[in-house]
Amino acid sequence: MDTQELLQKAEELLREFTETTNQPEENRLDVYMAVENIKPAVKALLIDGKWGYLSAITAMDCPDYEIDETTKEKVAVAGKGHLEALYHFCEGAAVVSLRFKLPYDNPHLETICDIIPSASFFEREAMELVGIIFDNTPITARLILPDSWPEGVYPLRKTFKGLDKETKGE
Amino acid sequence: MENPIQTVMEKVKTWARVNSPWAIHFNSGSCNGCDIEILATLTPRFDVERFGIKLQGSPRHADVLICTGPVTLQARDRLVRIYEQMPEPKFVIAVGSCGISGGVFEGCYNVVGDISEVIPVNVYVPGCPPRPEAIIHGVVELLKSLQN
Repeated sequence: MDTQELLQKAEELLREFTETTNQPEENRLDVYMAVENIKPAVKALLIDGKWGYLSAITAMDCPDYEIDETTKEKVAVAGKGHLEALYHFCEGAAVVSLRFKLPYDNPHLETICDIIPSASFFEREAMELVGIIFDNTPITARLILPDSWPEGVYPLRKTFKGLDKETKGE
Repeated sequence: MENPIQTVMEKVKTWARVNSPWAIHFNSGSCNGCDIEILATLTPRFDVERFGIKLQGSPRHADVLICTGPVTLQARDRLVRIYEQMPEPKFVIAVGSCGISGGVFEGCYNVVGDISEVIPVNVYVPGCPPRPEAIIHGVVELLKSLQN
């Protein structure tokens, strides 16, 4: 099967969960979905469809921006916009990304560790650095951040501007 | 006037110190580039044992702390603990750009800064990473400064 056929097959497998799709590059397919479809969609693609493997889970912060009047710089507005979780699946040169938009006030996603156990690392990374909450994920211990890091501070959020000196212990 | 026996003893101690600087190597957040160069420095090709330099497993047996990388929040307390475990007199060599200034990691959310912000540093070896010759030169400069 060539790349286009692979992408077509993935699109068919995911059709019933799909909200919108987008093809940013020739070998890539982005599929936007509702949050509750995560587990059935991964199951349909990976287990039932036997399509590819999980390459990575990434997380993004997409806040709304406004121009600061005094400095004329683009600054992120706290609490406006959304987070995004992307599940990348690969087969040959084809890449399918399942994309989920999550609101700031309720960034919950169901874990996929019972389908793919090794997803645990990606989920822990996204939990720590961006603050997405994965429900029922088996391990929630710190993976990357230092032991002294304060709870509820997510360094890869756009509104994060560094720890103050006191918390850093300087 | 100083005790002449004490003066002689100091001379003997300095002689011993300069001829067998035992080192410990610590990575406080480096990308591993400098660590590879330090390991290369310790191979027979560069033969640092001709200066009496020997790598020690424990900071309690070491005179020189060879430290690489910026200091991360997680590594800071460990670095200080290792430094404090070393017997006096102790010397620190900061190897690489990151140990000197924080390098590319300066300003990262989990980085405190360069090594001198946490512990006193005697010798800086610049480079990204510095070649083994540069590291040996740094150690030799440290030994020279001890002799005076």
